[in-house]
Amino acid sequence: MSARRRALRAPAPRCRRAAWGAAALAAAALAAAAAFAQAPRGTPPADVPRGPSFERAPVERLDGEPYVGVNDLARLLGATKFWRPDVRKLVLRAGEHRVQLTVDNPYVIVDRRTVRLEHPVRSLRGQLHLPVALLDSLPRDSALARVLYDPRGGEVLRLPAGGVLGTPIVTSAGGVTRVAFPSEFVGEVVVAGRARARFRVRADGFFRGTLPDSFPPGSLVRAARTLVVPAGAAFEFEVAPEADGYRIAREPGRVVLEFAAGRDGLEEFAPEGPAGPRPLRVIALDPGHGGDDPGVSAEGAVEKDLTLALARALKGELERRLTARVVLTRESDRTVSVEERAETANRARADLVLSLHFDGYVRPAARGATAWCPPATYGERAPAGRPGVALPVEVLPWRDVATRHAVPARALAEAVRAALELDGLGPVRVRERLALPLLGVNAPGLVLECATLTSPADRARVTSPEGLRALAASLATAVAEYQRNE
Amino acid sequence: MRRVLVVALLAAALAFAAWRWFERARTPVAPGAAPADTASAGVKAVRLHFGSADGDTLVVETRELPDAPDVHRRVAALVAELDRGPLERGVAVLPPGTAAVHVYLDDAGLLTLDLSGAFVRGFRGGSRAEWLAVASLVRTLGDNVPEAKRILLVSSGVALPTLGGHVPLDRPLDPAEWP
Repeated sequence: MSARRRALRAPAPRCRRAAWGAAALAAAALAAAAAFAQAPRGTPPADVPRGPSFERAPVERLDGEPYVGVNDLARLLGATKFWRPDVRKLVLRAGEHRVQLTVDNPYVIVDRRTVRLEHPVRSLRGQLHLPVALLDSLPRDSALARVLYDPRGGEVLRLPAGGVLGTPIVTSAGGVTRVAFPSEFVGEVVVAGRARARFRVRADGFFRGTLPDSFPPGSLVRAARTLVVPAGAAFEFEVAPEADGYRIAREPGRVVLEFAAGRDGLEEFAPEGPAGPRPLRVIALDPGHGGDDPGVSAEGAVEKDLTLALARALKGELERRLTARVVLTRESDRTVSVEERAETANRARADLVLSLHFDGYVRPAARGATAWCPPATYGERAPAGRPGVALPVEVLPWRDVATRHAVPARALAEAVRAALELDGLGPVRVRERLALPLLGVNAPGLVLECATLTSPADRARVTSPEGLRALAASLATAVAEYQRNE
Repeated sequence: MRRVLVVALLAAALAFAAWRWFERARTPVAPGAAPADTASAGVKAVRLHFGSADGDTLVVETRELPDAPDVHRRVAALVAELDRGPLERGVAVLPPGTAAVHVYLDDAGLLTLDLSGAFVRGFRGGSRAEWLAVASLVRTLGDNVPEAKRILLVSSGVALPTLGGHVPLDRPLDPAEWP
């Protein structure tokens, strides 16, 4: 008996070890199963795009699980919400797609598929919240906006339509500089500005990369920066004066901007005019509004009167400082049409046109001046590259003729900004848009909102004779700077 | 030894089965399809653009509106909300009383928006106010009516050369060019 007991007891330590091992195995199985249950579906992307143009929504942690509010998700998806309180169901509908959610239920019907989430849809503060894991199960096609969970930022992003532009590769050889953006797919690529100093390109899709700080030796591109635009991506390049033209090429897997010197068949940059002092024989001053059109009125200050007074003062200043003849589009308080104003300037063969205005806004916080100059959207096509092949004639509507002078007009705007800021008459904004008073004007020109009449400080300044004289003197300085072109 | 192992494995299997049973017990039943969407009114989030207080930029406000099946009613609702003004920060920049009278969308994506006479009569301000009034309309329609690729503004059924003498409106406007 005792021997049997011993025999039975002898392996006892091994049995206990085995039992402990089996228990550990069971615990591990349970832990693994629990971990599997907790793990979020879908792998978060390694590199989430960032930028001001992305619409986004915050993510909230409920019991440790990331949830997004259904109102936010509907906004990002561009979906319409249908709430059925009787059955506590919410349907999101976007185009042909339909996502059905039920409160406190982990089953979500996406189109005709039933998706089981690890955590239920929850109602919180009067709004449904759903686990972000659902985003992996949404259809991926053009009918539904692409949304992405960014675990680092703790938010859900909507990716803009179009492709992705990566960090560009810049190469320069043989008088050609190529800026190649890797791209999975790119829709439209538009040249928004043809000036060498501000060559602007806008593309569908979004930019996920960085622009180079430096460029290879001999590069025709000197600097590059991104621009903020309503949608897509936009870039501004500073191109060397040696560059003769540019070309945009879509190659497999990339979009290439090519800048070249000494080649034919390229698109040309906006006309710039010769270097050195600019000839200013005739300057046209256009006092805005007049007659039936008073323009902005604020506390007794009337725009049409101020523009005429300023034009007279500026005429005196310019004639005193320069040898130019100065013509006014109106000399009295009368109604003058836009066409008539342009005709006056064109008939006088003006080398420069300044359309003088004063601004106004609904809030007194708005102040300062704004210079509107035409955009550099016009570029002449280079001569035919092959003999006997005629290139199509590009017709520029006369309405837009001011865009031919966009580069010197921008230089004038910068000179005005510098002079007014230096004299403490700012802040001055420069905006590129073809304003109505410059339609049909065949000369470098600006529409200049000299100050904001609805701002008490600006109004007090420009309604005093000294203030108006100071403004005229500052503008005359700007015109003289523009003429020197140093 | 073998018996103990079998017992331990059995215990593990039992534990796993118990966990599965517990999970299943707390899992709700998959729901059936909801009744037709149209049985209830749908609402949709829209992005509205208003002017900033300093008049330099647009500011965006998101609001939920009843979804309208046709473009006319959608655009009319958007213009009405712009006219109503911001609920958060921002400044209403449309002339008071502006309303969409008629909307026409052609196959090429040109949306012609005929605005009430108040749009022209009620305008006050300079180029900044004019630029923001037009930008507010164009960007709001561009964001919420994706079918509209270009927008032509007219008023009271006739062409509108400009609103306040600074921004030409004789041609259709591209929302992408209004930052």
